[in-house]
Amino acid sequence: MLKPEKMGKILIAAPKDIMGVVVAELHRQRLFHVEDFVEDRDEEYEGYRIGLPLEGASQTSKDLIRLRSVMSAFSLQPEELKPQEMARASALKEKIEKDLPALEAEVEALVNRRQALENKAKEAEQKIEALSPFAEVPYDLSLLSGYRTVTVLAGYVSKKPDLGVPCEEYFAASKKGNLLIAAVPNAYKAEAERNLMDSQFQAISIPLETGTAKERITEYAAKLELVNKEIQEISTALDSRKGDYAGFLAACEELLSIDIEKAEAPLRFATTDHAFIAEGWVPKDSVGTVSDGIIRASAGKAFVTELPVEEEKDVVPVEYDNVSFARPSQLLMDTYARPRYTELDPTLVVAIIYPIFFGLILGDLGYGLILLAMSIGLWMLLKKVGGEAQQLVGVLFIASISTIIFGVLYSEVFGFMIPGIEPVLPSRHLNIGGHAGGHGPEIPELMIMVIWVGVATITLGRILGIVNHALHDHGSHRIKAVLANLGWIMVLWGLLFLIWSFVALPLMPDLTGMPAVAGGLSAPALLGLVMMLLGIVFIIRESTLEIIELPTILSHVLSFARIVGIGLSSVAIAMVVNFIAIGLIIEPQLEQLTIFGVVIVIIGAVVFLIGHLLNTVLGVLGAGIQSLRLNYIEFFTKFYKGGGKKYNPFGTKRRYSEE
Amino acid sequence: MLLQTDVAVQVAEASQGGMKALAAAIAVGSTGIATGIAETAIGSAAVGATAENKDVFGLVLLLTVIPETIVIFGLVVALLMLF
Repeated sequence: MLKPEKMGKILIAAPKDIMGVVVAELHRQRLFHVEDFVEDRDEEYEGYRIGLPLEGASQTSKDLIRLRSVMSAFSLQPEELKPQEMARASALKEKIEKDLPALEAEVEALVNRRQALENKAKEAEQKIEALSPFAEVPYDLSLLSGYRTVTVLAGYVSKKPDLGVPCEEYFAASKKGNLLIAAVPNAYKAEAERNLMDSQFQAISIPLETGTAKERITEYAAKLELVNKEIQEISTALDSRKGDYAGFLAACEELLSIDIEKAEAPLRFATTDHAFIAEGWVPKDSVGTVSDGIIRASAGKAFVTELPVEEEKDVVPVEYDNVSFARPSQLLMDTYARPRYTELDPTLVVAIIYPIFFGLILGDLGYGLILLAMSIGLWMLLKKVGGEAQQLVGVLFIASISTIIFGVLYSEVFGFMIPGIEPVLPSRHLNIGGHAGGHGPEIPELMIMVIWVGVATITLGRILGIVNHALHDHGSHRIKAVLANLGWIMVLWGLLFLIWSFVALPLMPDLTGMPAVAGGLSAPALLGLVMMLLGIVFIIRESTLEIIELPTILSHVLSFARIVGIGLSSVAIAMVVNFIAIGLIIEPQLEQLTIFGVVIVIIGAVVFLIGHLLNTVLGVLGAGIQSLRLNYIEFFTKFYKGGGKKYNPFGTKRRYSEE
Repeated sequence: MLLQTDVAVQVAEASQGGMKALAAAIAVGSTGIATGIAETAIGSAAVGATAENKDVFGLVLLLTVIPETIVIFGLVVALLMLF
């Protein structure tokens, strides 16, 4: 808890001839995070070379490329497949040798044929496109070209032009444009073109065809239809092949990918002529399992030992170690940065305060229940997929429960007051449309409440900062860093004491009545002043530049006012929706219900539903992002660095194939 | 005479209320514009970054909403003024 999984460093040394066995065992275990060997980096590894891929690697990659080309012809995504029975690796390998070449040839032939047909279709489409301007022209197209002494000009014009030269003309006005075809003797060509410029002549090339354009278009269209039909047939054939082979292909792809991963593992090992050394990380609890497994698999020929971890020098991969309740919040951590091995892992803290912020902002029984139902539904849907999407739903689930709790504490359901429940927290019931119950909103109390939340969060952040520095820094720097964090807390609380002794605020201690002790200041004011000054001294001792950060004490605390701001805007939207739907549409109709009135009432209900649905979406976005921001910017900046390396053990989770 | 002062007080109160509402509107409106201006640059950079690498979506979404602090402060000021 609050610490990442403890890691152990393992070194494996074995003769090269059992490299395959060791790699297979490591792959099966899925525990060993390989530390890549870099040549000429460490003195102790002088003379070692990066290993060569295992035998058969190049053949496997060739097979995999062929397989993937078939899969891409099918546009097959393994993720979209339903779970199926596991296939035995040996049976698969046999099938790859036997069936794959035939399937590949068949698919290739079909794809090539389709490509050729598609080219044909494109050609026909282009022909039709070129012919379409002439569709209404009654002349044989062969008459429009091929003259030595006459030039035929064809194109669209804005109005019928006067060419002013001896010529033969055809003019047809249509919606698309006014088509002009003019046969001009070559001697007058230049003059005719000049005159055409005035009527914005846009030339069209004359297709080299015989027969009228209409006939030709009909012919090409018929041809196009035939080609398209054939393409359709080929696609159907491909789809049916895809249906037959999808599972097999996915299993083969997985098997071959794993084979490649295994075969290329030696590229990360240090080798000599006859032996190899692999270094890597394993969770501390599994060190025994891993070394026993390797020794057993290699029949005692491999040497496995645990190396001491040097936290200063080693970059230890980080794996979370959290209780199940906090696990979804790991997603929020990874979005920012994975913790370093040496620092506190605040996932648990985030898992607690993120939903609290979310609930404080959204806080509505109705919206909470909607979100709860939604997150449970999505959880069921995503159960098989897993991964980040499911983690996100987990976060939403906890947030929705918090929303329900705070909804009761605020006494809010869809912007209404929950009947019979007085708000425990300061009321957020605005007075919109005269529907608010109770005593209206208590804005100052709400503000002070979130300022308390801010003060608590920031103080906690600084305390975690003290722990981080106390645990992992050394010497004088350690004392300075701890004191600086303490200094920040002292400035914050000193400021609070000063404020309390001058201004009486709701929900805060009132120290204004205390007698003055010295210089017109009361005892708490003096205490506050001393705390602030001492705090500033502590901060300066660590770094003078930090002084410019002092105003953030105020701005970060005030930043928590967003909890009230966004919360109230969400309440306001809910109330406006209620007022429009019920107050303005439904209620006036209910006084004297007519048939027409029933329709209006239904419309009112629809407005109510859509309005609240929109507000739920807005609320989730607003509350979700702003709570996250409070975590990342106001909380994490106090103690958290991040930038740890993700623990990524060697191996693949098998979904379709087994050994 | 009495009635006149009464009316004068009422008028003064009403205009005070109106001024408050106007001030609140300016607080929210101007900070909203400021947030908008700040978010345009971040937003376009964020879209560009997401197009290059989808993994940064969560991070850039967060960066985009950072200037929202401005409008939230405006909203807070407006609320304090009105209530």
